[in-house]
Amino acid sequence: MLVDFELVRRAQQGDSAAFNEVVLAYRKRTMGTIGRLIARTEDVEDVAQEVFLRLYFSLDQLRAPEVFEPWLYRLTVNAAYDYLRKQRRRPEFRMSDLSEQQVMMADAVAGGKVEHDQQQKKKIRETVDSLLGAVSEADRVLLLMKEVEGLSLRELEKIYRVKENALKVRLFRARQRVLKAFETAERKNENG
Amino acid sequence: MYPTRGGDDKLDSLLQVYRAACPDREPSANFMPGLWRRIESRRNFTFSFQRMVRGFVTAAAAVTLAIGVYVSLPRARPAPEVSYLEALADANTLDTPENVGPVRLELNEPGR
Repeated sequence: MLVDFELVRRAQQGDSAAFNEVVLAYRKRTMGTIGRLIARTEDVEDVAQEVFLRLYFSLDQLRAPEVFEPWLYRLTVNAAYDYLRKQRRRPEFRMSDLSEQQVMMADAVAGGKVEHDQQQKKKIRETVDSLLGAVSEADRVLLLMKEVEGLSLRELEKIYRVKENALKVRLFRARQRVLKAFETAERKNENG
Repeated sequence: MYPTRGGDDKLDSLLQVYRAACPDREPSANFMPGLWRRIESRRNFTFSFQRMVRGFVTAAAAVTLAIGVYVSLPRARPAPEVSYLEALADANTLDTPENVGPVRLELNEPGR
């Protein structure tokens, strides 16, 4: 926890100063998570504000301050998912979407040969975004929460309120789809 | 064709590098004022909506009460003593002299 339970309890009771402190403590991390989930840097702040807005109006439903973090993650995931659904700008994945340059970048990254300057970072983001186009928005968010945010299955179980086994199956299938897209793009690149 | 183990490792590495390529972000100076503006705006909207709902409920209760009072009051107009059918029958009785009197025959018609 980035804040103590007492602060969350005070925020729950309507203490604006306490709520302000909670937001200040979590906003950077929340924005980072949103940035990785929605992959559109210009909208990250807006979605993060939406998360804290929802937090403000739902804090009284929080059963205990001990479950605050999964609660906040849940709000973050829902807001990111709502954003992705509203946007629907993300094109469906096609093999041609992954340029030769992106495939080479992915290979180089996997081999540990890349210096991470801004341009390369941008390309990496585009590459992963293209690959994740192989799965639905919901699976994209779930996969990123597990593989990139590093949350455990138990934590995901609390956030999604779904049994661990069901999550495992869904994650496995999503990962297989992304992996297949990755390998197909690689083969295509090798064949010229 | 199933993905290979090597592909699995490459994907893991790629996702790790992706994590590093998308670090946590610093919010702008406008983040907190913007958030509080949105909270205030939502709160005002909720307050106005609640006020509207409360007004609507009060009006509905008043109308219901008025209808209840109106229905429970005794009728001002007396109920008619005879029904419509009875009044109609009285006006057109079958036993009037035109209907039940003796039949008259005109015997001194020309040609008879």
